[in-house]
Amino acid sequence: MAGSIVNRESFLSNIAKQLGREPKTQLTKPVWQYQPQDRVLKDATKDELVAVLEQQCKNINTNMIVTTTANLATDLQKVVEQYGGRSVITWQDERYDHYGLSPLMHTKWPQEDIELYVWDETQPAENIRQAEKANIGITISEMTLAESGTAVLFSDKHKGRSVSFLPEKSIILIPKSTIVPRITQAARWISQKVQNGERIASCINFITGPSNSADIEMILIVGVHGPIKATYIVIEDQ
Amino acid sequence: MAMKTSDDRFNKRVTKELENTFMRGAVSSAQERFQTRRLQQADELGNWEEWRSHGEEIRQHVLANLDYYLYQLSENVANRGGHVYFAKTAQEATSYIQQIAQEKQAKKIVKSKSMVTEEINLNPALEQLGCEVIETDLGEYILQVDDHEPPSHIVVPALHKNKEQIRDVFKEKQGYDKTEKPEELALYVREKLRNEYLTADIGITGCNFAIAESGSITLVTNEGNADLVTALPKTQITVMGMERIVPTFEEMEVLVSLLTRSAVGQKLTSYITTLTGVKDEGDTDGPEEFHLVIVDNGRSDILGGEFQPILQCIRCAACVNACPVYRHVGGHTYGSIYSGPVGVVLSPLLGGYDDFKELPYASTLCGACTDACPVKIPLHQLIHRHRQVIVENEGKAPVSEKLLMKAFGLGASSPTLYKMATKMASPAMAPFTKDNKISNGPGPLKAWTEARDFPAPNKENFRSWFNSRTKGGSE
Amino acid sequence: MKVTLFATCLVDMFQGEVGKAVVEVLERLGCDIDFPENQICCGQPAYNSGYVNESKNAMKKMITAFEHAEYVVSPSGSCAYMFKEYPEVFKGDAIWEPKAQALADKTYEFTEFIVEVLQVEDVGAHLQGKATFHTSCHMTRLLGVKEAPIKLLSHVKGLQYVELPGKERCCGFGGTFSVKMGNISGEMVNEKVQNVEETEADILIGADAGCLINIGGRIERQGKPIKVMHIAEVLNCR
Repeated sequence: MAGSIVNRESFLSNIAKQLGREPKTQLTKPVWQYQPQDRVLKDATKDELVAVLEQQCKNINTNMIVTTTANLATDLQKVVEQYGGRSVITWQDERYDHYGLSPLMHTKWPQEDIELYVWDETQPAENIRQAEKANIGITISEMTLAESGTAVLFSDKHKGRSVSFLPEKSIILIPKSTIVPRITQAARWISQKVQNGERIASCINFITGPSNSADIEMILIVGVHGPIKATYIVIEDQ
Repeated sequence: MAMKTSDDRFNKRVTKELENTFMRGAVSSAQERFQTRRLQQADELGNWEEWRSHGEEIRQHVLANLDYYLYQLSENVANRGGHVYFAKTAQEATSYIQQIAQEKQAKKIVKSKSMVTEEINLNPALEQLGCEVIETDLGEYILQVDDHEPPSHIVVPALHKNKEQIRDVFKEKQGYDKTEKPEELALYVREKLRNEYLTADIGITGCNFAIAESGSITLVTNEGNADLVTALPKTQITVMGMERIVPTFEEMEVLVSLLTRSAVGQKLTSYITTLTGVKDEGDTDGPEEFHLVIVDNGRSDILGGEFQPILQCIRCAACVNACPVYRHVGGHTYGSIYSGPVGVVLSPLLGGYDDFKELPYASTLCGACTDACPVKIPLHQLIHRHRQVIVENEGKAPVSEKLLMKAFGLGASSPTLYKMATKMASPAMAPFTKDNKISNGPGPLKAWTEARDFPAPNKENFRSWFNSRTKGGSE
Repeated sequence: MKVTLFATCLVDMFQGEVGKAVVEVLERLGCDIDFPENQICCGQPAYNSGYVNESKNAMKKMITAFEHAEYVVSPSGSCAYMFKEYPEVFKGDAIWEPKAQALADKTYEFTEFIVEVLQVEDVGAHLQGKATFHTSCHMTRLLGVKEAPIKLLSHVKGLQYVELPGKERCCGFGGTFSVKMGNISGEMVNEKVQNVEETEADILIGADAGCLINIGGRIERQGKPIKVMHIAEVLNCR
């Protein structure tokens, strides 16, 4: 259902008047004179991008592991144990199964008293409650930006926003195929979707490491409102 | 608070702030850190000037077509179930938001950092209704608890406070009983605010960049607070200065890239989030109701005039970090929520010359701000333009100065008068001269000689030397 | 080569030695110097304070005084820059704008002239000592002359150059700022002198009379054993 728009006409006429013309209803975006963003890491191979990502993770207090689908379960378990186990919240996403994580998540964890909660669109209040008390949140990056060390997540009814924000620790699975040079590629991809008339997610997160602040005497504090610790697990999926 | 943050006169503010040793130390080391990091990031990209030029062309194009992009934005927001309210004045904006709060019977409101909400004085308007408004950005939270102290920097609002002062604020106002270690202070705030996010009725944010093509708003933070403010409460209100808009995601990422590098020297901040309309069907977090309040509050008066470039600003505070005057006097001296060079240009335009007429003179026109600006706003030129407006249009220059300048104008255009003046200079200054210097000068020189000596005028000025040397003059 | 000297009012009244040095250095490099009598002041003091109309007559006087010149050279970056601003000041004036443009096009700051026009970097100067250099704001940022002074100083025999920490930071002169906002200006020049002391240099060199009178005045007041010299005086040492 469409929302309301109030006071637009007088507001925009006033702007046009200040600019010395009639209000504009048609416009083609110009071809920009400068496009420096496309040249960053332009010719880098996927492996080179992984190396850039690894270096960047050091700058953003993020732990990074590279693994294969075969070893993913083992390596994920190691990180979960490092983070103290206890309770994990994840999205409802069939990729966990594709990556061979079902035995770990649904069999091994209950045996080890690691509570797993999977985001459930029929349980709104429970979702938030679980996200709030979970120790670890595990999500999957849709696009990964090597230059800045950033995972891009899109929300939907199975993929709650809170999974990446409320738990103290965040683990983001990064399929190697999702790695691109920088935010430019992600932005263009999303913009193309919009131009094609496709609906984009109501929440798109570009997440770079754990939360932090330098508001107190410019001293970096890692872990403020969002997660205190973050690990990226890069999966060689090609 | 509104834009104006002090009732003290400018000179009193300067004197007071110059005595604040901690603040001055904090500001100069923050400046150094920010500048170094910004330059490092610029270096790493390798073609920073191209990036700046791209940023400039994007901002200039948007301003020249602002009505079009706001139209597109509003259509797309509404298509995604959001409500758009165009507010010409601060009053209209706050009234609209009060209305929503009343409709929702809101008791608790959480906010992420937003300069424009301070500009329109939103918090008191909501508190008037009996709402509890909680700032969630760490720096803003500290200031809020400290009896709503004004921010002293656009990006690091509590820069002027040391950790001991922060500990004491929490101790006195909230019974905090731990140490001044930053991690402990942050953990305390994290725990305190957790529950607030979960129980708030409304979340209010600012908007770093609205994206016209999709009806999205972009929030840029490091703390994750804006994401919690928008994921958990059922109603979200986003307030944006009307010029904070880009055509598409493509321009958003360019400006965000410029912003994060220029503001804090990061490639990207920890959380950059684009939010579009209300939550999708089936989502269990995200707002059920979304309002976008687009604020003019004097910005349209700047459009079409010679100060229009200031609307290119992306609020990175690179100019603040480069300013040698801010370095010594800090943010509170400016008496405005917008301090440093951007504050000097913007405050008289949005707030009037009466309250801010000294600001354009609190500058040496050194140009460091213009150099630092990622979207190439000619800040020092705009500051100079304000001086011209103050002198010529506003008639607010001090009378004695006007007379002095008139005398200058005469003397500088008459070789005869000049010759007389220079002949008289040395003998006229003789009573004040000792050992060829003046240590306690008369009139305007007094302010100079408080800190420095001034050279005595040469007994024989240069041109006399030149003329006698070439025996017969020059031309 | 005919060079017309724009001495500046500060040099004329307070720093005659600098004027002499400029003349001697340029003559030694083969220039034929003339000094138009009718030059007084570029108008900066009034112009920068916003008194644009009051400064126009002074500016017109300057334009006329230098109309005959081929090259106009000034030992002040800020005054040379002021000439470059004249076309903007007289924009739209059918008579004065072209004249202002002609003047702007032939105006050079002293070190810029030697390096860019005369194509000389070693003027044969000799000065023993440890020196540092304050880069004046208008000269560096607005006029864009950054390397010329350093190139020239690097060839002065016996001179040991040490970079000034914060060399690009304003010294606090800013013309009328130093008087209108005397207390802030005092703090700025104080920090500048502290920076100079950190270098342990015996000589502070600069290329702008305003800056040198400002910093020199503070050094005098504090009784520091640091000699303050204009770069023209340094280049004139044999």
